[in-house]
Amino acid sequence: MRFVLVFAYTLLMAGLPTYAQLAPNCTATLSGQIGQSLPNRMALPGATVYIDGLKRGTLTDANGFFRIDNLCPGTYTVEYRFVGFTTFSETIRLPLDSIRTITLQSDAVNLPGLEIHEHRSEARQLLQNQAELSGVALDQTRGQSLGESLKNIVGLYSIQTGPSISKPVIHGLYSNRILVLNNGIRQEDQQWGSEHAPQIDQFVASRLTVIKGAASIRYGSDAIGGVILVEPKAMPSVPGVHGDLNAVGATNGRMGAVSGYVEGASSTDNAFRGLSWRVQGTLKQAGYARAPGYFLENTSFRERNFSADLHYDKKQWGVEVFFSQFNNRLGLFRGAQVGSLTDLYAAIARPEPLVQPDFSYALARPYQDINHHLLKGRTYYRSETFGELTLTVATQTNVREEYDMLSFARVETPELYLKLNTQTADLIWEHPTRRDQFGGVWSGSVGVNALTQGNVRRFLFLIPNFRANALGGFVIERYARNRWVFEGGLRYDVRTLRAFFLNEQTNQVFSRAHQWDNANGSLGISYQLRPDLTLTTNLSTAWRAPNASDLYANGLHQSAVAFERGNPNLRPEQAFNGNLALAYAGKQLTMELGVYNNLIQNYIYLKPDSVPTIRQRGAFPAYSYDQVRALFRGLDATISYKLTNALTFTSKTSLLWASDQTNRDYLVLVPPNRTDNSLRYEFSTKTVRVSGLYVQVSALAVARQNRVPAVSREIRDGVPIFRGDFAPPPPGYALLGAEAGLNLQLGKRALSLIVTGSNLLNTAYRDYLNRFRYFADEPGRNISVKLKTNF
Amino acid sequence: MFTQPIISLLSLLALATLLFSCGDEKNVDPTEDNERITTISLQFINKADPKDAVVLTLDNIGADGTQPTSSSTSGSLKPYAAYSMAVVLGDRSKNPAEDVTAKIKAEANEHLFVYTPSSGLNLGITLSDLDTNPAPGPYPVGLTANASTGPPSTGKLNVVLRHQPGTKNGKATPGTSDLDVNFDVVVR
Repeated sequence: MRFVLVFAYTLLMAGLPTYAQLAPNCTATLSGQIGQSLPNRMALPGATVYIDGLKRGTLTDANGFFRIDNLCPGTYTVEYRFVGFTTFSETIRLPLDSIRTITLQSDAVNLPGLEIHEHRSEARQLLQNQAELSGVALDQTRGQSLGESLKNIVGLYSIQTGPSISKPVIHGLYSNRILVLNNGIRQEDQQWGSEHAPQIDQFVASRLTVIKGAASIRYGSDAIGGVILVEPKAMPSVPGVHGDLNAVGATNGRMGAVSGYVEGASSTDNAFRGLSWRVQGTLKQAGYARAPGYFLENTSFRERNFSADLHYDKKQWGVEVFFSQFNNRLGLFRGAQVGSLTDLYAAIARPEPLVQPDFSYALARPYQDINHHLLKGRTYYRSETFGELTLTVATQTNVREEYDMLSFARVETPELYLKLNTQTADLIWEHPTRRDQFGGVWSGSVGVNALTQGNVRRFLFLIPNFRANALGGFVIERYARNRWVFEGGLRYDVRTLRAFFLNEQTNQVFSRAHQWDNANGSLGISYQLRPDLTLTTNLSTAWRAPNASDLYANGLHQSAVAFERGNPNLRPEQAFNGNLALAYAGKQLTMELGVYNNLIQNYIYLKPDSVPTIRQRGAFPAYSYDQVRALFRGLDATISYKLTNALTFTSKTSLLWASDQTNRDYLVLVPPNRTDNSLRYEFSTKTVRVSGLYVQVSALAVARQNRVPAVSREIRDGVPIFRGDFAPPPPGYALLGAEAGLNLQLGKRALSLIVTGSNLLNTAYRDYLNRFRYFADEPGRNISVKLKTNF
Repeated sequence: MFTQPIISLLSLLALATLLFSCGDEKNVDPTEDNERITTISLQFINKADPKDAVVLTLDNIGADGTQPTSSSTSGSLKPYAAYSMAVVLGDRSKNPAEDVTAKIKAEANEHLFVYTPSSGLNLGITLSDLDTNPAPGPYPVGLTANASTGPPSTGKLNVVLRHQPGTKNGKATPGTSDLDVNFDVVVR
């Protein structure tokens, strides 16, 4: 009964602040001073103080002082913000905590759009080239797929298969060379396929962190290209039930999405103290995308996602259970369905697709139907003297069904069915930080990761049934003293793979087994040249064992117009990765420059065979897996300059050179150089109803990829033979975009509204990284509206 | 303090293991194609002499689509003769064998057979059936055709089945190929 009363009281306090304001006893005051940590706690004039539940705020005066009057007694979350400093938020109780003294920490870079921080928390404290997307910058991308939204980070690209499938690329590497951690769990969703996008709900993420470059030590083998961390919002700690609702509408494809969550935490003074929960869901639907002049037939998609999270946190230990379900049906552009090489060249020769239907939400063959389930459990124990021990176990199931276009059969079954079951377990101990006699601080962790997965296929053969096991152990140690931070890591992995085949003549099952092991290391150094200038460098090695597709793929790949043959003699890939990053955070100018060099021995790629494979349906280009020494080197630059207090210029540039050193040639599907430049104006005017108003214009320029293998084709004995690629890369392009956003206060409800326009000039262009670039233009103009409100 | 979370996690792990039993991968399913054509026959009947029937057959077209190296024939075509021709397609990999001809007939509005004799082979083929496509249709399908022979000769007859959903215009170009095979033909 007491619980119910407290609960109701809290609900009243948190949910009905405007009514409570009218009550006569609302006379509490919140006041204090905000300063910066260096040098000498100088006051910060113009910093923002904001009470989250009440949507009330103020700015500090010339001496950093602030005061908010007429507050009702209760519990509030208060945010303290200042450009160039990390936002600090705390929970206070009024009138008890009415006078605050706040110190804000200087931030490496704090741009209004893209937020890049130097991380010093959890796994993200790794001394590696990192970038993240969170807050407003992430809200701006709501409604997009994970792969599309990540393109806002420099050094990230995506390989697309039409408008609905987008696969992230970090510094030119993709598929199994990138690890995606979904809420801390290694995502296993047949990521070897270049038309297999990550099966993760973008709305779940409250922060997307990307580690660029080899990061195998902490996260396991395979992470030659980098790691993408998809992190949900932190669980609520303030008692009461709250929620968030997102709605997105877009003109191109007439896309609509709604996503929301409801969460709650139990009161701090009852038996359920420490309990918190969240239930989240997303619905998304789009019809045919529109390229300038015509609709792209069958590019519709539907998505239904659900997740639930339950935490129980005590002072020293806690338990968490997380479940998520991702259901996705993706239509593939029908104009890209070609039967053979002859049909392919006929389709490439057409300037526009033959079939140009009217708009529709219809979704027919060819399409992919994918379900991904994840069940995760995590527990930890921590104390001052012991450090923190975390055990995480998870099981995930990925069911992928690919339905090809049918000619005469009227069946309901797919052409490709793959079911991947993966169980993972991680045990990690972070030792307590120790201070030595020189004033330096030691921190670090040791851990074990285990994985077992089984794959079952049906219908057509593309990859075999298999069982894979992996076991690895690591140790990472970090030492920080004065302006220096050093980090060293070591890791050892063993991996096994057994593939199962059926001899259809004898009906006997036979198998092929592989085992690999490898040791890797990393070394990182960070030096603060000046309080506003930091230099970080990292050298690391990483490896990736060949997967079942590299070794045993054998079949016609849907939508790829390719006959792929595995190579059972492949050896593991070994990467040697170097990074150097310079970060400057000044008053007007913030800048982050990074260069990288990634040398990969035994880089596995699909090598085109000079003679095509002849099949029932005609001649198909044949590819077999081969290995070369590959080099990826490039530069990422983010520069932001405050022209005036309100006007900011931001430039994001990614340059990449990649080559096949064995054959002294270039590699296919290497992202071309790109630069994204924007001007943003933030209105300082604030009224009771409107705040945070901004407008932004941006121009994205993507160069033509000239570093590609030579493209040629000829007809030999009536059979077309091609080299390099089916067609030369498309020309470069430039796109104009604009955006405006504001926060509205409607009664007691806060509403955030963002309107984004992309490809505003409706430019007809093709992108080298889109696998359907041979057949149609990219989507044209798109206006999207994103609404977000909380309750 | 340690035991509570560990026990809860271990029970979760046990539950997960029970729910997702491993070992399924050792039962390997045979390769199964929804749209296989294992057999194609061309049946010629001499219009002047109905007893003169010639059947050219390609059987055992591989699961991977590989074409058998030789075709079985029941005789040769006579020179300077007029034949009516019909094509029969089947899938003998299924049990019972599937009649693909009937399925093509049902989807005649989006299919077209293209017959191309090699140079030197004195054989002319004119499609004799029509689909029900609306104007500017109907268009020929090619399940039946009229064949006429010239002076004695040998060569190959290329048969391509085109799938042209929504794009059929009477020409071979639009769409994709379902089947692309060659028959050895003798006129003597």
